[in-house]
Amino acid sequence: MINPVILQQGSDWRAQAEVFDEIFFVFLALGTLVGTIVVSYTLWNVYKYRDDGNRSDEKFDAPTVGELPTGQGGPKAKKLFLSFGLSAIVVISLVVYAYGLLLYVEDGPSVQEEGDIQIMVEGYQYGWAYEYPNGHTERGELVVPADQRVDLNITSRDVWHNFGSSDLRIKSDAIPGDYSETWFAVSSEDVEAQGGEATYAVQCFELCGPGHSQMKSQITVLPQDEWEEWYAGTGNSSASAGNSSNIGAAGVAAPGGVSA
Amino acid sequence: MSGLPPTTSVKRWFVTTNHKDVGILYTITALFFLLFGGVMALLIRLQLWDPTSQILSGLAYNEAVTAHGLIMVFWFLSPFAFGFANYFVPLQIGADDLAFPRLNALSYWLYLGSGVLLAISFFQGGTLSAGWTIYAPLNVPMYTPSIGSTGAVLALAMFVTGTTASTVNFLTSIHHSRAEGMGIMDMPMFTWSMLATVWMMLFAFAALLAVGLLLAADRVLGSVYFSATEGGSLLWGHLFWFFGHPEVYIVFFPALGVMLELFQTFSGRRLVGRKWVIISICLIAVQSFLVWMHHMFLTTINLEIKTLMMATTIGISLPFDLVVFALIYTLIKGRIQFTTPFLFAFGALLLFILGGITGVFLGAIVLDYEFRGTYWVVAHFHYVMFGGATALFGGAYYWFPKITGKMYDEFLGKLHFVVFFLGFNAVYFSMFLGWETPRRVFEYNPEFQIYHQFGTIGAFVLGLSFFIMFYNFAKSYVSGEPAGDNPWDYSRTAEWAVSSPPPLENWSNRPSYASGKLEFVKDFVPDGGPAMKTDDDGDVATDGGDSHSAHISKYPYWDEHPSHASIWPFALAVSLGVTLFGFSGFAEAVTVVLGETAMQSDINISNALYPIAIVAGIVGLLYTGVKWGLEDFYAPPSEFAERWPFNGVEKVKLGMWFFLASDVIVFGAFISAAVFIRYNAGWMTWEPLTESLPGLINTFVLITSSFTVILALVAARRKSRQGLLATLGTTILLGFTFMTIKLWEWNHEIFDRGVTIAANAHGDPIQASIYYVTTGLHGIHVLLGLVIAIFLFVRVYQGHYLDDERPIEYFGLYWHFVDIVWVFIFPLFYLF
Repeated sequence: MINPVILQQGSDWRAQAEVFDEIFFVFLALGTLVGTIVVSYTLWNVYKYRDDGNRSDEKFDAPTVGELPTGQGGPKAKKLFLSFGLSAIVVISLVVYAYGLLLYVEDGPSVQEEGDIQIMVEGYQYGWAYEYPNGHTERGELVVPADQRVDLNITSRDVWHNFGSSDLRIKSDAIPGDYSETWFAVSSEDVEAQGGEATYAVQCFELCGPGHSQMKSQITVLPQDEWEEWYAGTGNSSASAGNSSNIGAAGVAAPGGVSA
Repeated sequence: MSGLPPTTSVKRWFVTTNHKDVGILYTITALFFLLFGGVMALLIRLQLWDPTSQILSGLAYNEAVTAHGLIMVFWFLSPFAFGFANYFVPLQIGADDLAFPRLNALSYWLYLGSGVLLAISFFQGGTLSAGWTIYAPLNVPMYTPSIGSTGAVLALAMFVTGTTASTVNFLTSIHHSRAEGMGIMDMPMFTWSMLATVWMMLFAFAALLAVGLLLAADRVLGSVYFSATEGGSLLWGHLFWFFGHPEVYIVFFPALGVMLELFQTFSGRRLVGRKWVIISICLIAVQSFLVWMHHMFLTTINLEIKTLMMATTIGISLPFDLVVFALIYTLIKGRIQFTTPFLFAFGALLLFILGGITGVFLGAIVLDYEFRGTYWVVAHFHYVMFGGATALFGGAYYWFPKITGKMYDEFLGKLHFVVFFLGFNAVYFSMFLGWETPRRVFEYNPEFQIYHQFGTIGAFVLGLSFFIMFYNFAKSYVSGEPAGDNPWDYSRTAEWAVSSPPPLENWSNRPSYASGKLEFVKDFVPDGGPAMKTDDDGDVATDGGDSHSAHISKYPYWDEHPSHASIWPFALAVSLGVTLFGFSGFAEAVTVVLGETAMQSDINISNALYPIAIVAGIVGLLYTGVKWGLEDFYAPPSEFAERWPFNGVEKVKLGMWFFLASDVIVFGAFISAAVFIRYNAGWMTWEPLTESLPGLINTFVLITSSFTVILALVAARRKSRQGLLATLGTTILLGFTFMTIKLWEWNHEIFDRGVTIAANAHGDPIQASIYYVTTGLHGIHVLLGLVIAIFLFVRVYQGHYLDDERPIEYFGLYWHFVDIVWVFIFPLFYLF
């Protein structure tokens, strides 16, 4: 499902961080604008109609104790509905706009020529285990190639965690007995900009026990060829894995560049 | 006056059932919990001062975070609002008291008792550390093993029990005791907000009670609901947020009600678009139950459901828009007086606008994905919930003169507002700036340290601002200027038409709005008879339909004075507190070693304190329950009242229906949990654990007992004591038959088939847990019904209820309900 907004961008794909930054900017700009208008208007009127003791009693219909409540109608009621209508239009159009981009984020970009790579992510107290299509399990860091879409299948071994990287703007719940999904991709330009190896911090975003604060990990993105070399070396041994746990059959859509 | 000691006597505060006394107790207790939760908040802020060094361990920090959230949401915000509601809703609707004064006192004591249990839990190896959202499976003993964790869960369950009692009470009062001429659309806005609040509470808190009971079963009895990988975690999420989202409005609406009152009082203008504001409030109350999954956007729920929840979430922001604009436009062309109450109410509006706008961000799912679990969420809900509560402090200043008869110090009040408002924004706006910090994490990115340090300073300023208020109130109470009955120029509601403080029974003559405004009318009271209103033709008018007028003529104590004192609410709450304290350590202290049969099984007790507390508590519950039932406590229904839409329904019956409605949600949640887990496990992979024959027999037994209860009512109406004894007796026998068959069935399951609450020789352990816990909850209902039936039976034997068969009728309602529940349970556990 590709929506018009994406097509207009013209590029091949957009990282979740880009999509987020765009929506966040639009919301922040409009939110600040609306908030400033409403608050200034309110403050100005409160100042204007302050009780300075100089107002005439004529036409002021003061309420009295024990009256059955009635509302004010007239021009103010009209204004009420006008403002309500305007705010509804702003809110609804904002959300329709954001929903278009959600559909993109949900599906992710179409799979690149190289194919995508699927990783099983398993949270535990207090760390993350990453299982690759070849059965290799890595702890502490997720090493992935640049320019390739990485699909994460996220679950938990013990309690409810949340796998998230603020830098990449990705996040997904890690729920025992359940598998959630998210994706990301880092371009080789970004990797080069960080000196040939890009790293992004990973943290747990759901309270998971006394070690929650220390439940950290990182995503390391290598250029394609370097990554392939690294990945080939993992084929037989699970050395870095400590104890390699079989998380379950990782769904693998054969990463084309790897199979060689 | 009915044995109620003067306010200077300590005893009065233990026995009072008067709504104003209870309101004061609520308010003061809630302020105490504000300090308690505030200290937790300051501990959190100190920990955040430096992203590397710590003053608390990881576990202690989690306990502080959890206790802060639980205390502020449950033990401060709602009870603070309910203090005002207790005091002023009856005054605003022209009632003498709430519908059930003893129940009201019970609600308060359960609230205080639950708070005591929570405080004790800190000393039971540490309190709960799973966050106020108590996500599963972190909430099960495997991950949070301390006794205090169980204690905190049971404290929450006790709190919710009190809340349910309070909800039933307010619903009945507002729907049953409004002064003549005050139609439902004529109620003051504070009362309207409270009505919407208690309607939401009736259903939302029932869901919380259910999920709390399930968690208590996991923690105390060893069932495996929330550790089950067959959807246990998501089950918690769904049930908790089904409660949790309405809860946001439950704490905000009373504050909104205060804002709506104060904006009118201090501008001298009436509310703009009043009817539409009321409609919006009702819409929000209904919609609040349709948005809960927006708290779970990052779980595995599918895109269609997310889309639906996004739409309903945005939908719910629209009525709020209307309410906010109505508040703003009300002020225009007014004469705005910048008194302390107004400043707080106005400040609350500004804070709420910011909270609302940042909430729209969260409604956009892509943004929510990133905000989830960060300080954006923390900042947002503090602006909404605590921002709303800002108006409640305005309410405290607004009503202080009415409650005490003294005026507060205006300068100190304004000073409090300024310090409060600056501190508030320093704490919570800095959270927006450092929003990328994950929640509940204290080792954070040093980049954000400056915001967190700023926030910590703000938190101390905010905390200190309350001491200005405490000093102001204490000083003014002792030596303030007399305030007079109505210190405000443009107040409208009825509490300002009586003296400050109001007399015990509120009115000397009956308040009535029949002429279009408040008047006090003197009713014709025949010698030794009930008050009667005469209409133009001189006929005695009845305004409520048959049962109401029948009630007046049948009520045997009509010549008595209303009662205002009873010790049993306090005693009952203490008994329940002791019982739950016992259960908190039950799993640790008592182990059951199963043998071949029940006779050969051993019970090992490692710590006698907890089992003794359970036994003592239950004995206390039975004793105080019976004493409560026997006490001659007279709380007359208002004789002439507006009751739409429940015109023909008698007071106690109305309360019973409200209670049963909440119980429907409790059972609904239990049965939904069973269906949800079974669906996740694969529906067809489960066979019934039990043979269907005992269940079938029990179905017949229960349905038969429903008929005998109907016959009992018929016998009571015919004033046949023999018939009543026979039919009630048969009902009790049938109930015991049901329980005996049930016991046999459980015995058979445990010892012949190896199926216990935590283990299942024939399939998933969770299936066994669901079977025992769901049928167990039903069994407890039957048992409770039997206790009541035996009480009634003895009373009938002593010659009661022949003149007034209503207790038999209301027991019948309950009994039928329990039977109907069984009709749902039977196919689910015995047939399919």
